[in-house]
Parts: sequence; C-alpha cells; structure tokens
Amino acid sequence: MPGGGGKIEHDRDACVGHGRCYVLAPDVFDEDERGHGVLKLASVPAELQDQARAAAENCPEDAISFQPDDAT
Amino acid sequence: MSSHTNNPPEADSDSINFYDPAVAAHPQPVFRRLRDRCPVRKPIPGVAVCLSRYEDVLFALRHPEIFSAVMPAGLIGNVRPLIPLNVDPPEQTKYRKFLDPLFSNKKMLAMEKGVREIASNIVDRFADDDGCEFNTAFAIPYPSTVFLQLMGLPADDLDHFLSLKNAIIRPDAEDPEEQAKIRNESGEKIYAYFNKYLDEIEKSPRDDLLSLFVTAEVGGERMNREEILDICYLFLLGGLDTVTSTLGCMVSYLAQHPDRRQALVDDPALIPSAIEEMLRWETPVIQVVRTVVQDYTIGGVELKKGDPVTLVLGSANTDDEQFPNADEVDFERMPNKHIAFGSGPHRCLGSHLSRLELRVALEEFHRRIPEYTIKPGETPVYSHAIREVTYLPLQFGKGQK
Ligand code: HEM
Ligand code: SF4
Repeated sequence: MPGGGGKIEHDRDACVGHGRCYVLAPDVFDEDERGHGVLKLASVPAELQDQARAAAENCPEDAISFQPDDAT
Repeated sequence: MSSHTNNPPEADSDSINFYDPAVAAHPQPVFRRLRDRCPVRKPIPGVAVCLSRYEDVLFALRHPEIFSAVMPAGLIGNVRPLIPLNVDPPEQTKYRKFLDPLFSNKKMLAMEKGVREIASNIVDRFADDDGCEFNTAFAIPYPSTVFLQLMGLPADDLDHFLSLKNAIIRPDAEDPEEQAKIRNESGEKIYAYFNKYLDEIEKSPRDDLLSLFVTAEVGGERMNREEILDICYLFLLGGLDTVTSTLGCMVSYLAQHPDRRQALVDDPALIPSAIEEMLRWETPVIQVVRTVVQDYTIGGVELKKGDPVTLVLGSANTDDEQFPNADEVDFERMPNKHIAFGSGPHRCLGSHLSRLELRVALEEFHRRIPEYTIKPGETPVYSHAIREVTYLPLQFGKGQK
C-alpha cells in the first residue's frame, strides 16, 4: 500500500464517547474530560494512516471520516 | 410475511422466546432467523415490535425523538424513572455531562491497580483448587467489590448489597403479583440503604463518588436527593449483573475453545480485541426497550405512537450486512463496530469501567489458571434476559494439579 497521508474529520455532535478512536489511534486522537474523542491533528501524516483508518472504521457512531490522499 | 403461516411454531420468528434457556445458550441462530424472516417484527397486540437488523437497531438507538427511552416507574421496584436511562435528551445530556467525566476512560484506567488487587485476591481463594463454579467464585463478587470501592461504600456490605439487587432481578416467586411485591419491598430497602449513607455524607462529605453526587452542580444546581437516588438505583441494577454475565459468557466460551484460550494466555496483548469480539458475539445485554413517540415507518412496517419496541442488540451484532462472516469468532476482527454497549445518547456509561474490569479479570485469571475446561460430565447453564451463565463448573489444569 502506498504510504500517503490523508485528511481526517471528527463530528463532535455525533460522538458519544465510546473511546474506540483514542484507544485504536492514540497518536491521532486524544480523550477529553468526558471521555469523548478529540483530534490531535487535522492532516494525517503517512505513518499514521493505519491508525486514522482504524479509528474511522471502528467508531460505532460513524463520527469520524478519513480521506486518504492516495485514495485510488 | 405470508410464509409464517406454514412454519411450525418454534421456527416462527413471531414466537421466538428469548426466555427459553436453550435459546439463551445459543441465541445466534435464532437471531439469524429473526433477521431473515422479518427484520422488523410486526406489531402484535401486547407484544413489542422487534427490530433485529444492525441498521434498524442503530437508527432507533440514535433517534430518541422517535424511539424514546422514557419508561414509567415501577417495573423493577423503582418509584421514579431511572436516571439517566429513562430520561431523553436534552434533559438526559445534563446528567451525562456530569457523569461522563467520572466514568471516563482515563479515570477508570487510574483505578487499574486497585481493580487488579481485587481480582487477584478473589482468584487467590480458589487458584489452588481443582476447579470452581465460576459464577459464585468470581463473576459475582468481583464487579460488586469493585463497585463498592468506587462508590465509597463499605466492603462488608457486599452480601446485603447482592441480596438487594437479586430480589429485583430474580424475585423468588412464580406469580407476577408476588414478584412485583418482592421487587417493591426490595426497592424500598435500596432507597433506604443509599439514604443512610447519603445522610452521613451530607453531614461530612468524603473523597468518593457519592460525596461528589451530593456536592456537585448538575446543569447549574445541586441535584436533589431523589435525583441522586435514581442514579444510584440504576447503578446497582445496571453495573453489576452486566459485568457478571459478560465475564461468565466469555470464560464459558474460552473454556470450550482451548485454542482461543491458549492464544490469549500466550499473548495477553490480544485480550482487548478478543474482549471486543466476545462482546459482539455473546452480546450479554441481548435487547433494550424503547417506546415509539411519533408514527414512523421502518423496514416497511408502520409503527404507531405508543408502540413498545425491542431493539435486539444481539441480533444487530451478528448481522452479516455489518459484520462479514458474522458467525466466525475472530479475536482480531477489524473493523468491529459492535453495539454491545448500545449507541447514541444512552451509550453505556460504564463501558470504560467494564472494559477495564473485563481485561484485568482475564489477565489475572489466566496468569494463575492458564488451563481450564468445562468440568467433564457437566454443562454450563445459561439464563435469559441478560445472558448470564448461572452455573459454570470449571476444571483447572489438564486434570492433574
Ligand atoms: C459489560 C458490561 C456492561 C454491558 C454489556 C452494558 C450494556 C449497556 C447497554 C447496552 C446500555 C444501553 C441501554 C439502552 O440504550 O437502553 C447501557 C446503559 C447504561 N449502563 Fe451499562 N453495561 C455494562 C456495564 C455497566 C457498568 C459497570 C455500569 C456502571 C456504572 C453501567 C452503567 C450504565 C448506565 C448508567 C447506563 C444508562 C446510560 C444512559 O441512559 O445514559 N453499565 N449499558
Ligand atoms: S470512537 Fe467515535 S464515538 Fe467514540 S469517542 Fe471516538 S469519535 Fe467519539
């Protein structure tokens, strides 16, 4: 897989604090006081693509979207 | 749905009975039938409409303005609705804003050492025996001991505490009226139990959760005594048996799948994702309930305001549309968007606590007892409602000890 980065978005209104994101993607997400996810960065570097994807795919609220730069 | 008429009653999804212990032991094929035949089970007078597909269940959980969680009091010995479970947003949000930080992942991880000590002390009691009945030996005392400590209640209260909630969850009677009477009596005792401590704390607050309940501001003002009691009541009924049954389901599964158990013993780092997969597969809280508060059509079925609805989480979690090869238990499943802790505003407040308790329990149990099977000649007994393994006889080691 080509090692590009990507853009990640987090919908704070949809988030209810399952905490899958900051457990599976600790370098991309932080945990706020309530245990809801908070983005650490807006643009995901190549080496964190897998984490970002895991967060997006495992959020039970579909609150995270990840667009890899090399989406082909 | 005309095919229904040709089916024998036991195969007819309209007559699926989750209360049958045989169904409780192996519910997944029953869920499949439910999904295949009628993803939305039609209204039958007096019977709840049943949503069984992942997509439909998720939609209902996320839309409290259509599927409300507000319930009348009294079904489980309570005299007022439970908080925050029987309150919908926006009012519910006020309580969650206060409670979420107290049960956040970070706060729970900070308790890990104490939780591990509790787990380890309980395992000590039977680790040198030939086996144990897992439910009594571990799954029941463990979450309750953790909970008493978390709330700041005396550990000596354990037996009293357990008997109060057991009378509600398993009233010792057949007759519904008699059951209600037992529940109501126990409910009164539960309020009295918490009232006693709350009276003490009001005089001299301590450094624990109950003291915070008394002193904190929620939505700009202090909670009154009734609000605090309604939260405590829910904790007692929602925070103990759920963990007990989840642990029972998991250890029963591992006892019957030696290769899986060995994988976790060899590589404990696999435990967190194994827990997610067993939560999905076993889904101990099989179903949650809602009431339709505005007419709505889902899956081609018209729901009317006032219809009671059952959301079958266990079925949602084994739906192939969402989980490829859903019947395969894969400890490294990725992605895994199971909803064993619900979804939407009522997402389990205790999910981070539960994940901690489950991980620590499996780590400590396996550290001392890496090999175990179901005791030869015996069968685990599952019960309904929440999928508890009420009798889980284990034999330790490969026979020798
Ligand atoms: C593995 C164990 C557990 C499972 C499977 C579980 C499952 C669930 C589920 C499915 C819901 C959603 C109910 C609904 O939408 O109607 C829920 C809600 C809740 N759970 Fe848990 N639970 C567990 C442990 C706990 C623990 C340890 C606590 C302790 C505090 C707890 C407290 C709550 C509360 C307060 C709610 C209501 C949240 C709200 O309505 O805002 N649960 N749980
Ligand atoms: S996994 Fe989703 S719902 Fe959970 S904290 Fe992260 S963004 Fe929020």
